[in-house]
Amino acid sequence: MEYYIRKDVPFELHEVNILDADEQDLESISRESGIGLSKGEMKMVKKYFKDLGRNPTDLELEAIGQAWSEHCCYKSSKCILKDTVFDIDAPQNIYVIEEDAGVVEFDDDHAYVVALESHNHPSAIEPYGGAATGIGGIVRDVVCMGAQPLAFVDPLFFGPLDLPESDIPQGTKHPRYLFDGVVKGIRDYGNRLGIPTLAGMVYFDHSYTSNCLVNVGCVGIAKKDELIRSRVKESGDVFIMAGGRTGRDGIHGVTFASDELHEESEEEDIGAVQLGDPITKEPLIHVSLELNRAGLLQGMKDFGGGGLSCVAGEMSLAAGYGAEIQLDKVPLKEEDMAPWEIWVSESQERMMYAVKPENVDEVLRRCEKWDVEATVIGRVIEEPNIKVYFDNIMIMNLDLEFQTGGPSYCRPVEIIDKTKNITEKEPEEPDNHNKILLEMLSRNNINSKEWVIRQYDHEVRANTVLKPLQGVIGKEGPGDAAVIKPLEHSFKGIAITTDVNPRMVYLHPYKGAMATLDESIRNLVAVGAMPHSFADCLNFGNPEKPKRLGDFEQTAKGLEKIARHLNISFVSGNVSFYNETKQGSIKPTPSILACGLIEDVREAVTMDIKGIGNTLYLIGKTKDEMGGSEYYEMMDAESPRVPEVKIELLSSSIEDMLSAHSNKLTKSCHDISSGGIAVAISEMCIAGDIGAEITIEDEIRGDKYLFSESNTRWLVEVDEENEEEFEKCFSVPVRKIGKTGGKRLIIDYNSKKLIDVSIESLRDKWKNSLGNKMG
Amino acid sequence: MKRENIKVAILRIEGTNCEEESYLAFKRLGADAEKIHLKQLLGNGINPDERRELEDYHMIMIPGGFSAGDYVRAGILFAARLKSAFKEQLIDFADSGKPILGVCNGFQVLVEMGFLPAFDREITDIPQAALTTNDSNKFECRPSLLSVEDNTKCVFTRKFKKGEKVLFPSAHAEGKFLVKDDDHLEKLKDDGQIVFRYTTPNGTRPGYPWNPNGSLDDIAGICNPQGNVLGLMPHPERVFYDFTDPDWTRKKRSENRGDGKLLFESVLEYVEDEF
Repeated sequence: MEYYIRKDVPFELHEVNILDADEQDLESISRESGIGLSKGEMKMVKKYFKDLGRNPTDLELEAIGQAWSEHCCYKSSKCILKDTVFDIDAPQNIYVIEEDAGVVEFDDDHAYVVALESHNHPSAIEPYGGAATGIGGIVRDVVCMGAQPLAFVDPLFFGPLDLPESDIPQGTKHPRYLFDGVVKGIRDYGNRLGIPTLAGMVYFDHSYTSNCLVNVGCVGIAKKDELIRSRVKESGDVFIMAGGRTGRDGIHGVTFASDELHEESEEEDIGAVQLGDPITKEPLIHVSLELNRAGLLQGMKDFGGGGLSCVAGEMSLAAGYGAEIQLDKVPLKEEDMAPWEIWVSESQERMMYAVKPENVDEVLRRCEKWDVEATVIGRVIEEPNIKVYFDNIMIMNLDLEFQTGGPSYCRPVEIIDKTKNITEKEPEEPDNHNKILLEMLSRNNINSKEWVIRQYDHEVRANTVLKPLQGVIGKEGPGDAAVIKPLEHSFKGIAITTDVNPRMVYLHPYKGAMATLDESIRNLVAVGAMPHSFADCLNFGNPEKPKRLGDFEQTAKGLEKIARHLNISFVSGNVSFYNETKQGSIKPTPSILACGLIEDVREAVTMDIKGIGNTLYLIGKTKDEMGGSEYYEMMDAESPRVPEVKIELLSSSIEDMLSAHSNKLTKSCHDISSGGIAVAISEMCIAGDIGAEITIEDEIRGDKYLFSESNTRWLVEVDEENEEEFEKCFSVPVRKIGKTGGKRLIIDYNSKKLIDVSIESLRDKWKNSLGNKMG
Repeated sequence: MKRENIKVAILRIEGTNCEEESYLAFKRLGADAEKIHLKQLLGNGINPDERRELEDYHMIMIPGGFSAGDYVRAGILFAARLKSAFKEQLIDFADSGKPILGVCNGFQVLVEMGFLPAFDREITDIPQAALTTNDSNKFECRPSLLSVEDNTKCVFTRKFKKGEKVLFPSAHAEGKFLVKDDDHLEKLKDDGQIVFRYTTPNGTRPGYPWNPNGSLDDIAGICNPQGNVLGLMPHPERVFYDFTDPDWTRKKRSENRGDGKLLFESVLEYVEDEF
């Protein structure tokens, strides 16, 4: 049977014969067109058109394919998310989940805007372009709320850097190549936009070898009365498309993101990767914000996944209207594009403005001033349909509710507790703890990411108060969170961190998710900020496999548990499923972007030891729970005990720590995470270029005490004369563990000297290990 | 003239991206600073009320960024556009003693335009120096310790102490300063055109990363022979306040004063006195 019937029009248009298609045909049509709909979904489409009494055009079928993709309509995740992380009703919420970015109150007059997204599949195929356009996409999400972007963050996940070529699966690129390309892509796009890249993480694990993860986030600031929605306002509003031209790059990006990667992905899907051009984007940001500030816009939305098809539909539907689009008006990069290609292209650097007819000329003029191409392409209509014309011939007429709504599935979930099948396999107690510590510091999941950080401009805009690297110039250590001062006339600041612990989430998604959120909270609190909002980028495998969805559900429950207790919302986020190849699924990776507020940025606290003779305190309790720890990974040991979070203890600890900070009793503070106390104190010594002498007595084995990754712990440096006042701040466990001074780190545990190393040796391992590998 | 009457033009084209903080540095000190797109000077595609003339300003700053993308040679396109339309005006501007500052990409633009080093006060069509790819072959965002080499001739450093160390952040991929031979280097020294050099905490000759790019003779910034045109790679506007210093949490602090503020104060006082 011939599925595609060429229409007799002066451009490329087909009728798709689904009315005569049987089930098998429907599947073939979905596969051949690349729209990626299931058999059941194709049957729903057929029924819709049967009721209309006609076949769809290729364009109509494509539009439905885009809108119904996992990436666009969250059909597998909505069911779980709405029962977990959605609808936490925090007083600071302004727009939560409902827009492209989350909007949260900053002060009486301002809101900050948060967006976090994945750009995984494009980056696995073309790391430089994939990562660059990830940045391009996330910044638009913030700008289209009317906000000035302030900072980028980018959690990245790759296979091991030293993987032998022979272990690289067919069709996969070497992790080193991917890492290098992704960093360059973020660097070249982010730096050119003039927005600092302030936080992120790089994590290496075998499970990311054939499916790396590139998550990108952006934080911005807006005046509350200048916030704008991604929706039209009234019938008659004119659609103006501004920015880059539309090309064949980025076709089927969303459907590509909604399937597993495979050997031929590069050849088949390279067209799904967009091409980025930051120098078109930079003026587009300026003009978009200027137009909004001047009150010339009714609504604004960025062109992301699904292209014009999604933008026109979603903007209109959100306001209960329809749209009429003259597709031939869209400026093209190449002339011979078929209407359906124009309709779904995800070319970069494009914005859609909804404008009152009387303001159209002024909008076009201001765009021209900035050398931004802008074109009127349609208008808003009362009827809730989307009608598309090409050369005045109608080529699409769909009910928007049907097209944009998309299916939703509560797919089967199977919950597997992997820890049940693991018995504790302790490593042999080391006889040389110094050697172990140095080895830990050089590991790629712990060592300094300076090689990455310094390639990103983290100071442009001159708002960066706490940088990603902190301490003595030239000897800096890893900051817990970056702090920015967004407003000229206020000292109030935003602290930003990103975190996830994939190994713990893998072993026990519920506890691992809680540990992840605990870490992001610890980081904010360490610098003196009150945790205020979360964004989550949930990277998982194929949701059609019940075990994967089980992990997803447990993760969402873990995140919800803490967030709801603290009454802090997930204001924005993204679900990335299908991060899975023949080699298996990635470790479940719920990346968290957490923001905190600090009343006066000049009171922010860094992690470098500040002086000699100060007292070091440990806040929290160190336990024998080594499951998922970096130490056990290194020693090839196993434990079912994934670190737990005691929620009451967490909320009291936040309160106590912030009270110590606000009483100015903390000279330095560092959260304890990967590599435990030994690594945390090493980093403080490295950054301050001052040593420490620690004496601890406890019940658990020495190596476990040093490297345990128990949650809700910090190390704090306190002036000797403030000891009493400091201790008074704490209802949670606080213990004096030592003094600062000297040029060595010495740790005495149960009267045995376990660690005695010079700061120089610690620094050498920590600072240079990654850079030496990458050049 | 009075501070509030000093008109400072912060020039930009697409890809310029340090204009906001540069503008604020002058604004905070009471000057009448304004961000001006090149098109406002050229006059195409703008309203009459947006039209600007260079001669109405007392000072020009070309801020950092990636003008026109810097895909060719950093700064060359911005320089070409400025020169093709305003070469004579800009020469007159500089000859009249009005200050011109180029930071980072702005320094690259001034070198491409021949305004720096401008040996023997001659603005040449062919650049006499280059800011080329960093030795590390990477973008380098890191604090740079600079020693102030001149505080008499250059109108931007008069309030600094000679030999004083300041900490300005660097952030560039093409900052390696070169001239064609030793004679030209000697000329720079003889004419007192070297204003900032990279240095180390103990004042020794800096290797990488204290000299972040491999610049000849550790040169971080130079002025023209008259001292009213300055170009430097590190960013003084990023340390206008001390709480954006890279290591402010380790220092004794006073009145939020950052190391970069003095540069802007110096030049504004110069304009106050001279015009």
